[in-house]
Amino acid sequence: MGQSVNYLGLIPLFPLVGAVVIGLLHVFTCNKRRLPEKFYGLLACVGPALSFILALKVFIALKALPPESRFLSHKVFTWFSVGDLHIDMGFLADPLSCLMLLFVTFIGSLIHIYSIGYMGGDKNYGKFFAYMNLFLGSMLVLVLGDGPVVMFVGWEGVGLCSYLLISFYSEDRSNVLAGNKAFIVNRIGDLGFVLGMAFLFWAVGAQGFDYLSLKANVHQLTPGVALAVCLLLFVGATGKSAQIPLYVWLPDAMAGPTPVSALIHAATMVTAGVYMVARFSFIYAHVELAGTIVAWVGILTALLAAIFGMFQDDIKKILAYSTVSQLGYMFAGVGVAAYSAGIFHVFTHAFFKALLFLGAGSVIYALHHEQNIWKMGGLKAKMPKTYMTMVIGALALAGCPPFSGFFSKDEILYSALATGHIGIWLVGVLVAGMTAYYTFRMIFVVFHGEPRDHHAFEHAKESPSVMVVPLIILAVGAVFAGFLNFPGIMTISHWLEPSLTEAHHGSVILQVIAILASIAAFAVGIKIAYSKFGQGCPEPEFKGFAAFAYHKFYVDELYHAVIVRPYKAIGAAIWQVVEPNITDAPVQGASRLYILLGSAFKVFQVGYVRVYAIYMIVGLSIMSLFLSQSLN
Amino acid sequence: MIHNFLFLSVILFCLGIVGVIARRNVFTVFMSIELMLNAANLAFVAFSRIHESMDGHVLAMMVMAVAAAEAALALAVVILLHKHKGKLDTNVFSLLKG
Amino acid sequence: MFEHLLSVIIFLPILAGLLLLVTPANRMVARSTGLIISLATLVLSLDLYAGFKATGLLEYVEFTPWIPSLGIAYHLGIDGISLFILMAASVLLPMVYLVFGTREKGYYANLLIVQGAMTGAICAADMVLFYIFWEIMLLPIFFMLGLYGGPKRLPATLKITLYTIAGSLLMLAAIVYLGVSYKAQFNEWNFAISEMAKLNLSGRVAALAFFGFMIAFAIKIPLFPFHTWLPDAYTEAPTSATFVLSAIMAKIGVYGVIRFVVPVFDEQFARFAILLAYSGVIGMMYCGIAAIAQKDFKRMLAFSSASHMGIIALGVFCMNLQALTGSIYQIVAHATSTGVLFLFAGILEERTNTRTIEDLGGIAAKAPVFAMYFAIALLASVGLPGTSGFVGEFMIILGAIKFNTAIGVLAGASLIIGVCYMLWMFQRVFFETAKPGSEQFKDLTLVEGVTFLPVIILIIVMGIYPHPFLSKITPTTALQFSNSTPVVAQVPASNVQAPVPGLTIEQK
Repeated sequence: MGQSVNYLGLIPLFPLVGAVVIGLLHVFTCNKRRLPEKFYGLLACVGPALSFILALKVFIALKALPPESRFLSHKVFTWFSVGDLHIDMGFLADPLSCLMLLFVTFIGSLIHIYSIGYMGGDKNYGKFFAYMNLFLGSMLVLVLGDGPVVMFVGWEGVGLCSYLLISFYSEDRSNVLAGNKAFIVNRIGDLGFVLGMAFLFWAVGAQGFDYLSLKANVHQLTPGVALAVCLLLFVGATGKSAQIPLYVWLPDAMAGPTPVSALIHAATMVTAGVYMVARFSFIYAHVELAGTIVAWVGILTALLAAIFGMFQDDIKKILAYSTVSQLGYMFAGVGVAAYSAGIFHVFTHAFFKALLFLGAGSVIYALHHEQNIWKMGGLKAKMPKTYMTMVIGALALAGCPPFSGFFSKDEILYSALATGHIGIWLVGVLVAGMTAYYTFRMIFVVFHGEPRDHHAFEHAKESPSVMVVPLIILAVGAVFAGFLNFPGIMTISHWLEPSLTEAHHGSVILQVIAILASIAAFAVGIKIAYSKFGQGCPEPEFKGFAAFAYHKFYVDELYHAVIVRPYKAIGAAIWQVVEPNITDAPVQGASRLYILLGSAFKVFQVGYVRVYAIYMIVGLSIMSLFLSQSLN
Repeated sequence: MIHNFLFLSVILFCLGIVGVIARRNVFTVFMSIELMLNAANLAFVAFSRIHESMDGHVLAMMVMAVAAAEAALALAVVILLHKHKGKLDTNVFSLLKG
Repeated sequence: MFEHLLSVIIFLPILAGLLLLVTPANRMVARSTGLIISLATLVLSLDLYAGFKATGLLEYVEFTPWIPSLGIAYHLGIDGISLFILMAASVLLPMVYLVFGTREKGYYANLLIVQGAMTGAICAADMVLFYIFWEIMLLPIFFMLGLYGGPKRLPATLKITLYTIAGSLLMLAAIVYLGVSYKAQFNEWNFAISEMAKLNLSGRVAALAFFGFMIAFAIKIPLFPFHTWLPDAYTEAPTSATFVLSAIMAKIGVYGVIRFVVPVFDEQFARFAILLAYSGVIGMMYCGIAAIAQKDFKRMLAFSSASHMGIIALGVFCMNLQALTGSIYQIVAHATSTGVLFLFAGILEERTNTRTIEDLGGIAAKAPVFAMYFAIALLASVGLPGTSGFVGEFMIILGAIKFNTAIGVLAGASLIIGVCYMLWMFQRVFFETAKPGSEQFKDLTLVEGVTFLPVIILIIVMGIYPHPFLSKITPTTALQFSNSTPVVAQVPASNVQAPVPGLTIEQK
């Protein structure tokens, strides 16, 4: 059996304490004498670094255990306990969460370091790092939490931080609106998560609501409930991981500072949905229909986002759609029950996408917050290190062998093929080609050709080393991370085996077919991109389908017209029409009735004493008549 | 025999009622009220006689005492009314009109 | 500490308030008296809390016959359900004296009286005593709203007073009915709440009495569609009255349902629970959606409060342990979040002289401490895990799913609805750029900051470590359901005769 260790709870605690300390320092000094930036920067990196060290310790401890009992747990305290419902604030480190833990703390630490440079000079420097630390802490709770409810704490916590950081430049209304959108859309997903948890609890939760107990009791689930639980949890995943139909918030989320986009909206938070599906693989593995739905939603999202990505002109939006698209791949992977392949893609994607975002941030920083790629060009000469690392990231994203993205993407596509999901495989290969196309479109337009905005070009220079060094480290990861799961050896898949419920397929022929198809798609994509943009080209005009895709199929407008506006209109209608005229009508009616009766009875009040005497006598007479009748 | 007393009592009472309703002078109304009280007294005493109990007498005495007290108050009220409006016509006093 | 701890907690504020009213004390004296008395009450309540043993039964019982011929007694006691409402009142009310320092003498005196009366209603273990306190607690609200309210206070005052009294009279009739039924079934007069559960009530009149209680409490909570007094009253009332109304008085409505309706009318309750649950969930959505259309932030919070009360009431109607416990926990959570938001709204109004959302902006940059406090209370109000709002809401949704899937799903929508209007308001008031109305906004003073600190800490502690609180609630709620498995099962057997044949009211 696994061990109970008492340091697991510390892993999320370090960044959380860091967040509280930095936050309080910032709040109490921001309108007076500000503390020096170096101080905040240093303080902010302590928490993530300590967590990373502990994560390594966890890894070593897990490695020492035999594979079948590879987990560490730590019950900190009873969170709440009412009747059958017993929830511990407990943490569980098994191979799956350990893998997540390692790269989350590693990339998190790197991005903190990068931010020290990127955020320099911002008046809310302290606030930024408080939120970043809070995010990292929440993310670690999400990853380590033992049981869905503890996971949900982190789940909502990262959503909150995402909101706070998207609306970080809060003077601008559009940023705050993007933050609101992210939070509200995420909440729609969270509704699914909560309902899924509730169904799961009433089905099997009474014997314990942590992963190990759930896994042990999962056979008691009836197929209907299991399907409902899977789909509801997946609704939660579509919210957090930006899948159809809830993907709309992620592109807008690019309103936040670039390190945030790299950490939260590319490397870690958005992959939480994939992690969750893998975490619940013991349920999903038994419900094939749910898996198929997950896979199709994922691959269609990948296709849709790739189409959008081909026509964007904002460097961060391109990367955002690419993230949505890659998340789609991951869901396709976990959907076809290739959980380790999905998680492997999460892992490699974290490196190369964080790298690309940080590289983009470096470009944006050099060009004084210019994000339109059609105002860039020829930056290769000015920013060689950024260029080199970006190209590595792009190759990894596009799936060029032997970069990391190739292995993980190929693993997913191969699994789809091997499990007989030909349709998913075909769409996946198509999207792989599109990915190569839009990635290199971005690279060529930004770094090659002639400078389009000469003024900005003159002032551009390579970023400081505090920003470049993390880029280089991530680039190394983007190159080599893929070898950790080299086809045939499958280190990561074997490592993850104890945590996941999955079957392995083996067919060399299919493997070769999948690899060849992926390489072909990559080659075609990059070829088209080079022929169109390789020698520099002016900003194109979008017409027809391109214009339609440039406006993202008007999905945002559709949601606005179908959901947001009616919602507001209903609110106004309730307040101005229903409330006074319908709900309050009985009350108003009662008071009107009294007024009416009053004016009717008023005529009897003539004011003369003798008339009152007449009433009295008439009344008395009637009474005595009645009495004499009843007495007889 | 009791019928005669009761008839007289009723007649007195009705006279009182008519006085209260029909007359407009405050004094007349007041005297009509006294008339009604005495009609009631007469009935009390008559019943008391028949039942051979003193309860009726007690009540009659009680009514007289109350009537005397009431008269004192009522006359004071009448004087105030006259001061206020300068008339003793009941139609002048209609503050309760709805 | 004292033998009559509860009596002291109840009558100390009432007497002090009356004393203030009859003496020519000035504002400063009135305020400091209020502060001292409420702090003293707080200390006594903490002592009470520490000594509370969580047996599930009534503790700190005081029993003195009052009208023995009718079995009415001065009978007090407290259990896991009432304890937390009492604590919420004792912990939260001292803040009002600290934060709002320049009001009339009557303002503070009425606050004291209302505190005592509410505590009395919570602690009363006798129906008649409960009714008396229930009526008394309306009076100070009447005066505070009518004397110190906003420009449109008079219609609002009339509406809340008449509305509430109408409900109370129905309840009085129902109380009398219960007493008479008790006399008929057990041949002695008794008005003790705990005794009423023994009654076997069925038939039309019992259903009417059930609705008599239910409507009285529904008006107080307020449940849809009896909420229409709320927006005007909450908006026009001075901040502390709104605070008292939303943070504590509304909870006494829920408390009444738990205390009277659930155990006494178990049969009728089981029959009508689905109706009531729909009323709760529809009210949550209705008020939550209406909140988004508000231009006045105090009115928005009023709708928000009504929306949350719908969810809290729903927890009671779901008839299972998790939902009921969640409800009671949410009562305290709601008092610390929405209640405190009303106080913040009062501060905002006082400093900017406006309640219009559109006139404000950029306060987060001007007043970081205030913004942080406000944000924490707001997040608790939308039920973010790690704050007090989550635990209760989660358990209520969990219980609602078990009770009825459709209601559970609708209840879950509160996750979304609450966030919509709250973020919308927060964005316009705290983010963006400063508008003329908020340009001069000053951050919280040291006194204000320290005053709110305990509540902010409480919000977080209750979210992270709710177990000690829940362990005081659960024994009582578990007791409610220990004999409740038959409650639901009894429904088909509603025509069974009373244990003493021929003695139910209907058969007379």
